[in-house]
Amino acid sequence: MKARMLATRVALPVLAIAAVSAQAHAADFDWMKFKGKTVTFLANNNPVSQALLTYKVDFEKLTGMTLKVDGYQEQQMRQRLVTVMNANSDEVDVFMTLPSREGEQFAAAGWYGDLTAMAKDAVAKDYDASGLSQALVKAATFGGKLTSMPMNLEGPIFYYRTDIFKKCGIEAPKTIKDVEAAAEKIKTCDSTVTPFVSRGLKPAIAYTFSNVLHNVGGSYIANGKSNLCSAKAKDALDTYSRLLRDFGPPGVVNYSFQQISALYRGGRAAMAFESSNELRTVMEGGARLKDTGLLPFPAGDAGQVPTTIGWGMAVSSHSKQPDAAWYFVQWATSPEVQKKMALQGIAPPRPAVANDPEYRKWIDEEPVRKEWQAALDVLATKGSSEVGYPIVANPQSREFIGQAVQDLILKQKTVDQACADADKALDALIALN
Amino acid sequence: MSDTAATLTQDRQKLEMAALSAPAVAFTVAMIAFPVVYTIWLGFQTFSSTGKQSFAGLTNYSKLISDVEFWHGLWVTIALFVLSLVLQLVFGVWLALVLFHAKRLPGIVRSLFISPFMMPPVVAGMMWLVILDPSLGAANYILQAFGLPPSDWLASPTWVIPTVALIDSWQWTPYVALIVLGGLQSLPPSVYEAAQIDGASPFKTFQRITLPLLLPTIVTAAILRSVDLLRFFDIIYITTQGGPGNASNTLNIYGFRVGFEFFDIGYASALMLTLTAIVFGAVMAFNRLRGAVAW
Repeated sequence: MKARMLATRVALPVLAIAAVSAQAHAADFDWMKFKGKTVTFLANNNPVSQALLTYKVDFEKLTGMTLKVDGYQEQQMRQRLVTVMNANSDEVDVFMTLPSREGEQFAAAGWYGDLTAMAKDAVAKDYDASGLSQALVKAATFGGKLTSMPMNLEGPIFYYRTDIFKKCGIEAPKTIKDVEAAAEKIKTCDSTVTPFVSRGLKPAIAYTFSNVLHNVGGSYIANGKSNLCSAKAKDALDTYSRLLRDFGPPGVVNYSFQQISALYRGGRAAMAFESSNELRTVMEGGARLKDTGLLPFPAGDAGQVPTTIGWGMAVSSHSKQPDAAWYFVQWATSPEVQKKMALQGIAPPRPAVANDPEYRKWIDEEPVRKEWQAALDVLATKGSSEVGYPIVANPQSREFIGQAVQDLILKQKTVDQACADADKALDALIALN
Repeated sequence: MSDTAATLTQDRQKLEMAALSAPAVAFTVAMIAFPVVYTIWLGFQTFSSTGKQSFAGLTNYSKLISDVEFWHGLWVTIALFVLSLVLQLVFGVWLALVLFHAKRLPGIVRSLFISPFMMPPVVAGMMWLVILDPSLGAANYILQAFGLPPSDWLASPTWVIPTVALIDSWQWTPYVALIVLGGLQSLPPSVYEAAQIDGASPFKTFQRITLPLLLPTIVTAAILRSVDLLRFFDIIYITTQGGPGNASNTLNIYGFRVGFEFFDIGYASALMLTLTAIVFGAVMAFNRLRGAVAW
């Protein structure tokens, strides 16, 4: 009792001092502190950064800093980052990162600046770091260090054509088995469309396959060993590859988001399992606006365990001005900017923004946006950020997962052979971890 | 002025010239030598997947021997090299002959014939990716219009190498044709006049005169194309990224992925130096051949 009272007596003043101190920090916060400096931002030229950079001028006006943007496509951006970081160069101050993919690797290499203290102390009054999705913040924390701030929330979702489903007398699928049954029915009901499409390009497969694996109750690692030959994982490999082989478009092994979006937008696919970020691309031209339904991927034996990831903004550990760089990160992930980005179709990583009246009004304008947000709500609450193996060599692990799926799509191996070959290669990779 | 004084002045001029050009020469040598020496040094290092570096001696090179992907990449590189080079030389010579004999061909048509190689490979790759898409592309539409079965083109492990070779040949055959056309225009007319007097048929004239005299030019074109073909990267990167599976994974693509996606810069350097040695070997072999066919 005494101990508890003592703890209370000590803890309360400490908390009070901390709260006052945080308020004092916020009150002292001056956006113009680094006026005249130039911050270099290495950006992946995707919808997230495109939406953000629409407001570049606002940042420069607010802070008096100059924002230099070095923008590339995703793979080229990583190539540039590897070169810069291996050379210990301070050329890049802030870069975009996918913690689910390279987080472990970059953190172990020491490429991320530690944002833990800055996110607590060097923040403006309205920043509200605790308002960011804690799941995404956790996914960006390695060894107790906060390495990036979430920019968005995304994951693969299920797009389907309500008009084709109606014509063929099919209900919206509730389970993976329903998806396969719907594909079978569409194949005979309407031969002009591809029944189902998802990612078949080797390095891109893990993004969508992971959702299927987790839905059926499978896992990538069990007892420190690769687990693709477990019954559940074999079921996932078989189901995913069968859907693409029997109901996918010819040449699906070269399909990533660009081809999938183009096929679906052009009215040539009845079901597409693709990123929530692609909504804007899919709806371009308005042809799919009124005949598309959206869902999280239907449940398997383990229910719905959607893949949920998000791009993050990290400060380079080689930056010579991490404090100024943090100002850019803070501005870009602030409630105000994330609300503006949300109105451009970038799912916000802040529940408060998702509930903002202006954003809700935008959502309510189109039924498809409502379904999109409903799917994202499921992603935010039930999602797993495990895409590929949770090891340092995660990018390489995705290659082996993709190889196993492609071997099955192309009928080059049986499920047993494909999973055994993948497990062998992945065990070697896990051993290096 | 005495001889000694003149020699001294000349020596001084030479020294001045050497001193003036030294910075430019040093800069050029450094620009060439530094990346090569740095890559050789990297080839003796090992990098963990977190980028941590340590000296590895010849480990990277011994790893090559047991690496199935390396041998597969080498096979793909050689298959693409041979197939593309043969296509480009055969059709390049044919196109050069057409352009040489069709002297009244309008300039715009000649320009169209040679336009593909002026296109950036990335644009060519994107264009063919769309044309060859099995679902949406024009290629299958045309095949089916003629009652032929559609093909998976770049998505088929069997057809991907011939398809990539066709794309590259579409782009670079006109380049070979231009080189050969230059050779054709420099052939001595007297030899043809003699052949005409002897009553040689056009085919015999081509077989016995044109082709042997053109061989040095054709070998030169082969050398220029070989260097590019062994380093095949851009079109594959745009169209297949080495897939489906590993079916079009050339050594260059493999090295890129090892270095920039898996961060093993040491092994990637060893791979690229091996490829460089292969390119040098091919160039030297063709150079010897050129010496043998020179006239």
